Amino acid sequence: MQGDLVLDCKGLSCPMPILKLAMAMKKLENGKVIEMYGTDPGSRDDVPAWCERTGHTLVEMLEVEDGFTFFIRCEK
Amino acid sequence: MGESSSKRKGILGELYDTFFSKSWPMWVGGILLGVGNIVLFIVLKPWGASGGVKNWGDNLFNLMGGDFANMGAVGQFPYSVLCIMLVLGALAGALFSKQFALRFPPLGELFKGLIGGLLMGLGAVVGVSCTIGGFFSGWPALSLGAVVFTAGLVVGTWLAVKYLLFEVQKFPKLSSGKTSSILDAGKGRGSWQPFAGAAVVLIGLIVAFRYTGTSSVLAWYASIGLYFGLVCQRSRFCVVRALREPFMSGSSKPAVAVMAGILVSMFGFVVIKFMGVRGDMIWVWPHFWVPAIVGGTIFGFGMTIAGGCTVGSLWRAGEGHIKLWASVFGMMVAMPFTAKYIKTPFFDALPASLKQQFFLPAKIGYGAAVGVFVLLILLWYVWVKWNERTGKFSAY
Repeated sequence: MQGDLVLDCKGLSCPMPILKLAMAMKKLENGKVIEMYGTDPGSRDDVPAWCERTGHTLVEMLEVEDGFTFFIRCEK
Repeated sequence: MGESSSKRKGILGELYDTFFSKSWPMWVGGILLGVGNIVLFIVLKPWGASGGVKNWGDNLFNLMGGDFANMGAVGQFPYSVLCIMLVLGALAGALFSKQFALRFPPLGELFKGLIGGLLMGLGAVVGVSCTIGGFFSGWPALSLGAVVFTAGLVVGTWLAVKYLLFEVQKFPKLSSGKTSSILDAGKGRGSWQPFAGAAVVLIGLIVAFRYTGTSSVLAWYASIGLYFGLVCQRSRFCVVRALREPFMSGSSKPAVAVMAGILVSMFGFVVIKFMGVRGDMIWVWPHFWVPAIVGGTIFGFGMTIAGGCTVGSLWRAGEGHIKLWASVFGMMVAMPFTAKYIKTPFFDALPASLKQQFFLPAKIGYGAAVGVFVLLILLWYVWVKWNERTGKFSAY
């Protein structure tokens, strides 16, 4: 699948990935999907937990070559 | 990273997965660290983190011809040994769970790590504490100065969260750019990591064992450091998150984890002090209240910019985050210089009433003092939970 917006958080450590995700999500239209890349092991739990708390949908989480790719759909 | 669960595991494989397949809940880490802290106090004194890193800095600059404090060689000062072993333990934890990689952040992030570390070093020396000595161990030690230091931490954290929100909106380039990671366990490439983890643990145990001939204290500090690092990495235990998340995502989990650890430690510390096994005033620092509020605020700001307090920086450094290497380096630089050039004039300028060692049971007795601390933790709990539901103080 492919996201409407790519958010590259590779190399970043806590709290930057979630901070950037939250800020990007604020500007996104309902139903659009963010494709987020990350390498911080903490993101594996943090992204799903944040989605659950905020009501956005984690469509898919892939373990890729050097980390994770998340597809998160904006729900407003 | 995670193994596919469809593959049937042997009994020992299942045991291995229990510890190294997923991160542990952070409160499990809090309790395990709280227990370890009691053990550490029985061996010698409670847990502290910044003193060890300061010793690294002192030794480094003395080696370069400087004239800084001499608390002993890196391998002979208990807290320095503890910190080194904590990094090794975290490295082992990351390797066992195939989470190790050298992660090079964008240049702006590296810079933030360094600045955060420098500020933490300044705050730790001026405030005579860090998140461990002045909070995670300071509260169980029933020191009122620790409460003031923590209030400073909260103020500094809140300010730094404001800054981070501003930075991400106005200067997004600072946290983006060229990054790389090497030695990572990408698909099929990480099978060497658990073996390396075993080697690291073996080295750690040999180091601890070698101390038994000369100093059983150092042998225990080395072993407990290894354990602390492993627990921190596996549970992603983070005091910064505990204080920061109410202002960011609103999550209460990290705060509850820290509370759990403090309560467990308090149980043991109170018994140890009450029964006279160790002195009353241990871990009651002479910082009530001006040094505590000043140092706490600076430290809180620094740790939030860096993305890890002293311990958080150490275990993430072990996991391979280069940003936190910069943070540790910043602390190593700032602490010796602050101790030599800033702390003395600052403390000399303060009247004795503003730099007290305030051991609460000395004023109101043990029962009431414990009651005050438990009540403070309960209030903190109610606030983070209420805030989690209402989002009153959260940015997103």
